[in-house]
Amino acid sequence: MIYLDNGATSLYKPASVEKAMIRALRNCANPGRGGYAAADRAAREVYNCRCIAGKMFDCQPEQVIFTKNCTEGLNIAIRTLVKPGNRVVISGFEHNAVTRPLYALNAKISIAGRKLFDADDTIDAFENVLKTGADVAIFTHCSNVFGYILPVAEIASLCKKYNVPFIIDAAQSAGILPISLKELGADFIAMPGHKGLLGPQGTGILLCGRTPEALLQGGTGSLSALQEMPDFLPDRGEAGTLNVPGIAGLGAGMSYVLHCGIDEIRMEESQAAKLCGISLRKMGFRVFMGEDQIGTVSFVPACDCEEAAQYLAKNGIAVRAGLHCAPLAHESAGTLSTGTVRLSFGAERAKYNAQAVKNIIEKLAKVL
Amino acid sequence: MEYCFITLRSLTAAQTAEGILRRKGIYCVLQRSPRWMEEQGCGNGLRVDCDDISEALQLLRSNRIAYKRAYLRHNDGNMEAMEL
Repeated sequence: MIYLDNGATSLYKPASVEKAMIRALRNCANPGRGGYAAADRAAREVYNCRCIAGKMFDCQPEQVIFTKNCTEGLNIAIRTLVKPGNRVVISGFEHNAVTRPLYALNAKISIAGRKLFDADDTIDAFENVLKTGADVAIFTHCSNVFGYILPVAEIASLCKKYNVPFIIDAAQSAGILPISLKELGADFIAMPGHKGLLGPQGTGILLCGRTPEALLQGGTGSLSALQEMPDFLPDRGEAGTLNVPGIAGLGAGMSYVLHCGIDEIRMEESQAAKLCGISLRKMGFRVFMGEDQIGTVSFVPACDCEEAAQYLAKNGIAVRAGLHCAPLAHESAGTLSTGTVRLSFGAERAKYNAQAVKNIIEKLAKVL
Repeated sequence: MEYCFITLRSLTAAQTAEGILRRKGIYCVLQRSPRWMEEQGCGNGLRVDCDDISEALQLLRSNRIAYKRAYLRHNDGNMEAMEL
């Protein structure tokens, strides 16, 4: 199978991820809940992963909260900053993980920047809303549908200029693009562990520039005599037993990414996506491509996109079709009614040599 | 045996403190705090040789690690809070 659905989850993980998870399953008890060796080993696994995340995202280990996915992190962040009825500015490429919590909070949403691969338009649109007043800004680093890399550093600077707290959704960029919590000065950056970071499903990270509200209440192994959640990081955001095997696997996945090099991974993925995109264009499809694009490319097939994806699946190519849980992004690109077929490449370095990409393209040409 | 014990606000803070001290050659052991030290329940701390306590606390302060208190354990087993 040719797996091109890394935007949903990376399927092929480094062997070290599996090893770390098995090691944790066999040897680790509950971190922070006991003073015996197995609890200590669990605590060290968790702390090790916090440190790796700290290194990768330029923050302190305490600023790393483990979540079960990016959506949970976004919910914590959104419910910390956004109060019912608040004015929130978002990009035109947000995922339902952002828009649904805002809808639930009855936020007054302004959409800024709907032109694909047009950083200037995105920046101008954000400034226009921010200067007229917004309580919170939320923007994705990369569109999960089109791979468009938004100008997050510039939007972050605008948010600071207008004193508006902000959240970045790094669902598609973590492990693919450099991210510095310190430099961006974000209030929160949410990301999954199971996509570009190559960890297992059920893992995620919320980087905290401030202490969040506790979405869940429960045991933390700290300040147990109090009925309020601890007011410090990371405990405030981590009620209940952590997914230690998952976190151990996530640590191994991030180590692999750091070892390979984030820039190298991105270049290989982007190049493979670009070559596929160019070929799909030559085949006559409407393909969405631009300068600032990660290794994700969407196109509109001649038939129904779900049928095209089914056909590709039967021929050994795994892709995702439909709206990709991001109707807003499709609305911005004018593909809400048709949906698209998305090819999203991953960090399988050896698989994307020139011959491998040529094989993928040949197969696409043959079956489409 | 005489030793000192530094309490910290969280397990993660204690782990960070442990790393800082060890990198500077100060031997320490991360342990759960005795119950009586933690009025609000469940905490963690570092056991440090008394000869190293001043340097250890200085290192934590310079690295902005907010420790809570430091205690001295006497040879007879009694512990008392240290004046900082």
